[in-house]
Amino acid sequence: MARPGAVIEVDRNTPPVLFHFGEGIRLEKLPLGARIVYPPDPLDPIAHPERAIKRALAKPMEDDPLKSLLRRGMKLTIAFDDLSLPLPPMAAPDVRQLVMEEVIDMAAEAGIEDLHIIAALGLHRRMTEDELRHIVGERIFSTFHPDRLYQHDGEDPENNVYIGKTAEGEDVTLSRRAAESDLVVYVNLTLVPMDGGHKSMSTGLASFRSIRAHHNAKTLLASRSYMNPPDSALHHSCIRQGQLIEDTVRVFHIETTVNNHAFPAIASFMQKRETDWTAQDQAMFLATKQMTDIAPVAFKRNVFHAMRAPYGLTSVQAGQVDAVHDQTLDAVRKQLTVRVEGQTDIVTLGVPYLGPYNVNSAMNPILVVCMGLGYLFNFYRNKPVLRKGGVLILTHPCRYEFDAVQHPSYIDYYDEVLADTTDPIEIEKKYEMRFAEDPWFRQLYRKSHAYHGIHPHYAWIWAAHAMEHAGDVIFVGADRDVVHRLGFKCATTLEDAFEMAEQTVGRYPSVTHLRMPPIMLADVE
Amino acid sequence: MSWYSEGPLTRITSILGGALDDVSRVQRGWHWNTPRPHTWPERGTVVPDPPTDLGWARVEPVRSIRYLIQHGLLLPFTEAMAHPKVEGREWVRELDRPVIFAANHSSHADTSLILHSLTDKARDRTVVAAAADYWFKHPLLGNIVSLFLNTFPFSRTGGAQAQLHSSSQLLKSGWNLVLFPEGSRSPDGRIQEFKPGVGWLAKETGTPVVPMHIQGAFQVMPRHQKLPLPGPVRVRIGKPMTPEAKEGTREFTARVERAVRTLSAEPRQPDIQGTWVERWRASKPRELRYGDD
Repeated sequence: MARPGAVIEVDRNTPPVLFHFGEGIRLEKLPLGARIVYPPDPLDPIAHPERAIKRALAKPMEDDPLKSLLRRGMKLTIAFDDLSLPLPPMAAPDVRQLVMEEVIDMAAEAGIEDLHIIAALGLHRRMTEDELRHIVGERIFSTFHPDRLYQHDGEDPENNVYIGKTAEGEDVTLSRRAAESDLVVYVNLTLVPMDGGHKSMSTGLASFRSIRAHHNAKTLLASRSYMNPPDSALHHSCIRQGQLIEDTVRVFHIETTVNNHAFPAIASFMQKRETDWTAQDQAMFLATKQMTDIAPVAFKRNVFHAMRAPYGLTSVQAGQVDAVHDQTLDAVRKQLTVRVEGQTDIVTLGVPYLGPYNVNSAMNPILVVCMGLGYLFNFYRNKPVLRKGGVLILTHPCRYEFDAVQHPSYIDYYDEVLADTTDPIEIEKKYEMRFAEDPWFRQLYRKSHAYHGIHPHYAWIWAAHAMEHAGDVIFVGADRDVVHRLGFKCATTLEDAFEMAEQTVGRYPSVTHLRMPPIMLADVE
Repeated sequence: MSWYSEGPLTRITSILGGALDDVSRVQRGWHWNTPRPHTWPERGTVVPDPPTDLGWARVEPVRSIRYLIQHGLLLPFTEAMAHPKVEGREWVRELDRPVIFAANHSSHADTSLILHSLTDKARDRTVVAAAADYWFKHPLLGNIVSLFLNTFPFSRTGGAQAQLHSSSQLLKSGWNLVLFPEGSRSPDGRIQEFKPGVGWLAKETGTPVVPMHIQGAFQVMPRHQKLPLPGPVRVRIGKPMTPEAKEGTREFTARVERAVRTLSAEPRQPDIQGTWVERWRASKPRELRYGDD
């Protein structure tokens, strides 16, 4: 049985702890009495994923078996999650590939001619052919690409339809192909509790008009946290939209979960607790540290981004969306949850090289904020680990670097918007429509591999709750000018950061380090 | 009597002079070292000497050496120059019997593009028909090309039954065969009429023909160009076609030619490339297929 997560108190014998630092790593000594929260070890994966998938499709939850829903002459659409998860990308074969192959086998058996497969990427960037091939596998790619396997375009006026308004007045749009299908099979991969459920359809196959209903500062400030759907206004909105979609088109949901085995054997020291490091792990750490210290950034990035995670399938369920998603959330929580007693004055976090929006590219300053103050901070249930007004300390070099292909609108957002204000609500009032409707960004989103023009704003407001909650945010080892533009403080070393934090939280503060990744969900009592 | 008449010296001189005269006449008559007059017809193809079947190129350790050459040199170079986009690879992934790959021919790059578009398994069991009068005129060149591409000499004069026979022997012994039924490279990139050899071979051996169309190779390396230039290429593979019982050799060849021409069209051609269901079934991994049985 996998070892559960743990909270360890630092004493004299505690080894230094690993901090991720962008495309680098550090070992830091934490003050005596500080707590280190470790994620649970990876759960044992299902031994025969294909069999589990077959079983889930044959005995779905609160729905008929998939086979009985397929008939000759019908219009079938399969939609699947894009490359923003899992992180790092999964070693082949991807779970989505296994599920889709099973569904396609059934469709072929039923003699369905009209089958389309759509990557449900919402307002994310289009994937390259190699990225798409990695997710769906060579067999699906060569059979269906490009005319029957393609990526959703949320800005295509011809191929998105307006469905209606929810009771709360939220507009709902959907991909025309999905809306006109007799059956949509949604193939999901859930890594964190934020993913899946109604959110899959209502963001993945939607347009800006639909997504802006919940991707806004007000909703995100009311989502505490968006990693816990029952307490998340974001998810409540998605559910309302999703119910309207389910009234329009028949959707069969297939959700999968994976364990948190995020690092391959060569980087296994990152997966382990420092107390478990063997001599080999220490040697690997030293070698990696030296490499990341001296190698050029581009080289380091290529090495890190080439890493594939040996995730294992831990559950697969199919059928009616609510029933399926409840079980999915249980499986995810079983893997991720760590019980933590009480909040602390200071929380430290190492921000890694990779977030959902910089697969195969640089993590620009806005994405660093999105990752650190957005995702990592929000991995909690009940209450944040950080007390209200506490100090969040993050380690990341936070350089001024942007990928002009993937993140063109981020450059303008950083240079113009953040120079004006960093307040999410004010930004939304002044700049939302300008970025969302910019014709050049729209063109790049549709035809190149760029995120939608509005995406930097979403990345920024993803951190709105943490910005409001934390008394101070300090970046360690970062570029000073960049951090000041983002509206935060900068320290050279972790010790400096603790001293600076004492000015906000007082002397002898309590400190908690969240040792992520691998990811975890802190259940704060 | 003059000193030079009827003597042995006079005879020798006369013989030598006559020989020189003959040589000179022949030289003038056939324009040695000068361009062929444009009024003369094209030099005809010759029936080469009875070829060796180059059996050495299809046994170990030559196959392993070729594997290394292709994976270390030929395929990366092809990828870098043309970045070929392959459609329909599923038809060659799980071949359970030998096939004839019949493709249009506009460039020397065609062979490497076809080999690049095949799976490792199919490529390892594929021989390429190379024009006997072109590639095997110089035995050394022929052998080197054979080491790289697994070629064997194939007559394009249309009359060498012995060579068609050796091709059919290859097919019968389990080798796939790459054929360019046009006979030679297209002078302008357009598809020329197919010669009936491909139909004859398919009928004779009952082998399916896989139509292939290569688009863009003419831009990469047209006729009369010595070095390739980078450019995008699309290789489209159609579903295997089997000659019908009542179909004649020429009719079947015409059908193959139509298929290759259809593949050249821009949108997908389900009639030739297959519906998704057909393609999906064709690409089913073999072990599973047996498992289902």
